[in-house]
Amino acid sequence: MNQPEGQMDDSPILSISGLTARVAGEPIDILKGVDLAVRPGETHAIMGPNGSGKSTLAKVLAGHPGYEVTGGSVAFRGQDLLEMEPDERAQTGVFMAFQYPVEIPGVSIANFLRTALQARLADGEELDLFDFQELLVERMELLDMDPAFAERHVNEGFSGGEKKRNEILQMAVLKPTLAVMDETDSGLDIDALKIVAHGVNTLKKEMPGMSVLLITHYQRILDHIAPDAVHVMVGGAIVQSGGPEVALELEAQGYEEYRAVTAG
Amino acid sequence: MANGGVATAEKVERRAVGPAAAAEAGAGDPSWLRARREEAWALYEAMPMPSTRSEEWRYTDVGRLLDFDGLAVAQAPGGGPGRRSGLASEEALASEEAPVSHVGAATGLPAELRDAMAQDREGAGRVVDVDGCVVLAELDGELARRGVVLASLRDAARQGLEGVESLLATEAVPASDGKFPALNAALWSDGVFLRVPRGVSLDLPVRLARWVSSAGTAAFTRILVVAEEGSRVSFVDEILSPDMDGTALAGTTVEIFARGGAQVQYVSLQRMGRGGAYLAQQRTLAERDATLDTLNVALGGSVGRVDLNARLLGSGANSDMLGLYFGDGDQHFDFNTSQDHVAPNAHSDLLYKGALDGDSRGVFRGIIRVHEGAQQTDAYQTNRNLLMSERAVATSLPNLEIEADDVRCSHGATVGQLDAEALFYLMSRGIGRRRAERLVVLGFLGEVLSRLPMGGVVEKVTKAIEAKLRHG
Ligand SMILES: Nc1ncnc2c1ncn2[C@@H]1O[C@H](COP(=O)(O)OP(=O)(O)OP(=O)(O)O)[C@@H](O)[C@H]1O
Ligand SMILES: [Mg+2]
Repeated sequence: MNQPEGQMDDSPILSISGLTARVAGEPIDILKGVDLAVRPGETHAIMGPNGSGKSTLAKVLAGHPGYEVTGGSVAFRGQDLLEMEPDERAQTGVFMAFQYPVEIPGVSIANFLRTALQARLADGEELDLFDFQELLVERMELLDMDPAFAERHVNEGFSGGEKKRNEILQMAVLKPTLAVMDETDSGLDIDALKIVAHGVNTLKKEMPGMSVLLITHYQRILDHIAPDAVHVMVGGAIVQSGGPEVALELEAQGYEEYRAVTAG
Repeated sequence: MANGGVATAEKVERRAVGPAAAAEAGAGDPSWLRARREEAWALYEAMPMPSTRSEEWRYTDVGRLLDFDGLAVAQAPGGGPGRRSGLASEEALASEEAPVSHVGAATGLPAELRDAMAQDREGAGRVVDVDGCVVLAELDGELARRGVVLASLRDAARQGLEGVESLLATEAVPASDGKFPALNAALWSDGVFLRVPRGVSLDLPVRLARWVSSAGTAAFTRILVVAEEGSRVSFVDEILSPDMDGTALAGTTVEIFARGGAQVQYVSLQRMGRGGAYLAQQRTLAERDATLDTLNVALGGSVGRVDLNARLLGSGANSDMLGLYFGDGDQHFDFNTSQDHVAPNAHSDLLYKGALDGDSRGVFRGIIRVHEGAQQTDAYQTNRNLLMSERAVATSLPNLEIEADDVRCSHGATVGQLDAEALFYLMSRGIGRRRAERLVVLGFLGEVLSRLPMGGVVEKVTKAIEAKLRHG
């Protein structure tokens, strides 16, 4: 693993152990004991067949109220993440780029991000609107977005690719410590994929301590954003972990091997 | 301001809503008007109080919500407003007044009213009404020179200004229309007469600021707007009161005429305090190629009922009808709208959106009527409600009545809850739950305001909604 320069502390920033979770009120766990440790500055890819629980894991980390944690623990920067409200998790540095971003009718991207940044300030402190505007414009430039886009209502009428790019814009403005990217590459054309990957890499350079959990089905994004580790999730648990070669093997062979294991 | 003056309390008498008030109401009026008032009072007495057995009042038990016997009309002795305002246009001509831009002489008015007025941007003219009596009317001097008339309606009637006798409570909202139109036609204390001559455009809005001072008061106001051919004007009507332990009524009749090709906007901002009751009858008449748009905003008061009838009388006429309501506590808002397509080839588009919190209740009942022969009608009607609490109730009754075959009409109604996924999305960016809810509500209601090309009004309403959301 390529340890980022200047990263002295080698203890995980995120440790998930024995995590089980289900849809609130349902009888069966979707996550059946997930173990994962991510150190500061690392990028981990999570791959796995449809329905294996990748998005469930992402949403549980972000605190989606529709899921119920039935066991295990998640520590983030030494704190119990599962005890926190979604907004508190975001404020301590967790960010999830949604697989299916949600429309917020009538709320502009600019207003949304302004509110999100304002929420991070102490009571009585006011966000400097000039600084904000500057940051927003700069981030939109980084992601090759038309500045006029900032006045569009969040995800309302966005194309699939625009939604994904908007997720990364938010990430670039909010500068998280842990970015969970749930299939951000799906729906992006080849050029957009490069732009988004460049955006993520730029952020990583700016913030060497930022860790990334990158959920994907495809090798191609990993050509642009190099993972330190690749995990395979099947049936709600991580069944294999390794280096970048794991993704290349999957690309060649698919999940047949794992299906046989879980089915048998 | 030369013609500014404020009603002094000792000049105003109060009379219970009843025959004595009716007898006094016309004192000092010309005989045609006194006759009209008498006839209206007779109609009022003859008509029963609307009951929930009738379709139009099913969800608003007005007789129970409003104790008419406990209300008194503010009337100046000898009839008319507590303080005469004079004809704004004449005054302005005489005094070479600068454009109306600030509150000026309106000191002595309640702080809430002054605050609301101070928030306004520049205007073309301003009228202030306290308890139904006009205490100030002022108009940009240049506009007065160009023939625009902005006056106390009472003065306009007494001075026999052209258009008042022929259009007051005749074609638009006659007393025979119903119990409350009759009540207003009989008892109105004062109001506004605004006439814009042919081809004259007002770039800035004319504003009416109204104040209902205390529980037990019934203020009856009438507004008559005549926009002659090819003219353009916006009128903003803001209604305020303090928080009260009893009920106070702002009874309002609005009659608007847009002649051929005229462009008129009417905005009602109902921001009364607790105990306020707002009963409004609004009728808009749009002739050939005229545009007559309305916005009704209901944020305040305890009970609000608006009957809005848009009549499209000429080919090419157009009416955008916007509505926005946000209820909390036990507020009750009822909108009864109709779009009457009398002429062919006209267009109307209604969008009413409401957010309801606490135990509040919203009622929307709307009908599109396409009359026989009104071919090529385009008429749309949408009502959307957002329930913010489990106890809030929204009732939505859209309706169509079509007697022509070549028309495009649609209507739709929705009642939904706060979207949990949207809230999670906002919270996942670090926004707290309450703030996230506010954003969703503001975004939801904002669609209405985004259709209104009046920056000052949008700002004011947005601020008022935000303030209300903060306190909720
Ligand atoms: N809210 C929900 N209600 C019902 N079932 C759910 C819900 N959320 C997840 N599931 C089920 O849990 C399983 C895991 O879903 P999840 O979305 O986590 O899969 P995934 O690995 O992200 O799949 P994909 O690669 O298709 O995005 C699926 O069988 C899914 O149907
Ligand atoms: Mg998924």
